[in-house]
Amino acid sequence: MKKLFDDILNMKGVKGIMLLSFKGKLLLKEFTPLLPVLLEDRDWTPFVKALAGVQEADLVFENLRLYIRNSPTGYLVVLMEVLAPIAMVRLNCDILLPSLGQEDTSKGLKRLFKRKQ
Amino acid sequence: MIKSVLLVDDEQEMLLSLKEGLEKYADVFSVLLAKDGEDALEKLKQNPVSLVVTDLKMPRMDGFTLLTHVMVDYPDIPVIIITAHSIPIMVKMAKKVGALGYIEKPFMVEDLAQRIIAALRDQSDGGTLHSASSGLFLQLIEMERKTCTIRLVNKSSGRRGVLFFRDGILLDARIDGLRGEAAANEILSWDDVILSIQNECSQKEKKIEGDLQAILLEAMRLKDEAAEGKDAATTGREDGETQEAATVINQYEEKTAEIPGFNSVKKKLEGKIGDRRGVEDIYQDSSWDGLISQVAEVGEFLDAGRLKLCYVNEGESKDFILLPGDRTTVISLNPDALKGWIIEVLSR
Repeated sequence: MKKLFDDILNMKGVKGIMLLSFKGKLLLKEFTPLLPVLLEDRDWTPFVKALAGVQEADLVFENLRLYIRNSPTGYLVVLMEVLAPIAMVRLNCDILLPSLGQEDTSKGLKRLFKRKQ
Repeated sequence: MIKSVLLVDDEQEMLLSLKEGLEKYADVFSVLLAKDGEDALEKLKQNPVSLVVTDLKMPRMDGFTLLTHVMVDYPDIPVIIITAHSIPIMVKMAKKVGALGYIEKPFMVEDLAQRIIAALRDQSDGGTLHSASSGLFLQLIEMERKTCTIRLVNKSSGRRGVLFFRDGILLDARIDGLRGEAAANEILSWDDVILSIQNECSQKEKKIEGDLQAILLEAMRLKDEAAEGKDAATTGREDGETQEAATVINQYEEKTAEIPGFNSVKKKLEGKIGDRRGVEDIYQDSSWDGLISQVAEVGEFLDAGRLKLCYVNEGESKDFILLPGDRTTVISLNPDALKGWIIEVLSR
């Protein structure tokens, strides 16, 4: 699944991503360099509960920015620098989110088009 | 979407007769008329045309010269040649210059109509999307290394543009008479488009420098700048006042707790962001405090510093920007709001 996120992880200013289930379980994390904290140490349940109903969120802190997207699998959280290109991160999320949880991610453009009459 | 076909012939009777004969296909395409090559070029500048049907022998500018102009300036528009006599050398020349095909006089209007319909259908042989974000779609084109011609219609303005891709690389763009990067910047700034894809690309030369990501970013930047300039012009403000807006907002954030007259500050804030930017309302609402509190805790855990704001989209008609304070201040936004710009100003 990690390969799915490469486009986001390779973007300038993006520090990493994590995927939280709707029950608060940390399903996946990818950070370069590693974070100074252990994400597994935290109980993410209250945070995920507070996000109930949120489809998209952009949390801006003094030194960090968190972009969050609701996906079929859970909440995708992108950690990035404050001045990271958020519009491009959003676009990349638009592309990859439909693939999350799908076995076949190679359908590409075909899934977007109507068949020719 | 009805497409336009430009018929070019110096014989007025022939033109009118064709127009009349093609009226029964009005639900598929409409017809524009031009009396010669020069007139056709004028019509092409002024109208979005999907196909040209031209006679060869005409005064002022003949069909060959028109064909050459179309191939250079409008490479996405196919041309069908009408010939009085199917002289092999003329047909060969027309095809060599780039004509899609030819039809020999005399011909049945129905035959021409079928040729036109087939050519128009080919322009969307790769499919049509009726509501799409151009940025998202074009990234897919790049990812899949497609060779194609994409025709886009801006749903809000009705303007039409064309993008040429070869192996996923954006070679060129056209909107009206504009070509290259300037045209790409304009087209890529459109939010909601109808687009059709043709699985071939007549353009071979790369006229746009830089990759798609860079052009998309530049298009967004120009869009934001244009919106800011428009707003500053209508309010008589200058660019430097963006900073002033941020200052007022920061002061507001700091002083929210001790505001005796919330409405006066609210008015100041509205004055700086303004309803032209899609701000619907500004109010305080403690029902968001739980979310703000959890977000602040996560920020502390990640050593992210002070929480400045949260943008929240719940998939409803309004989005929200939440400003932390003793009570959470909520800015509700309509779908057309310049969210990125507002967040940027509030984050400073």
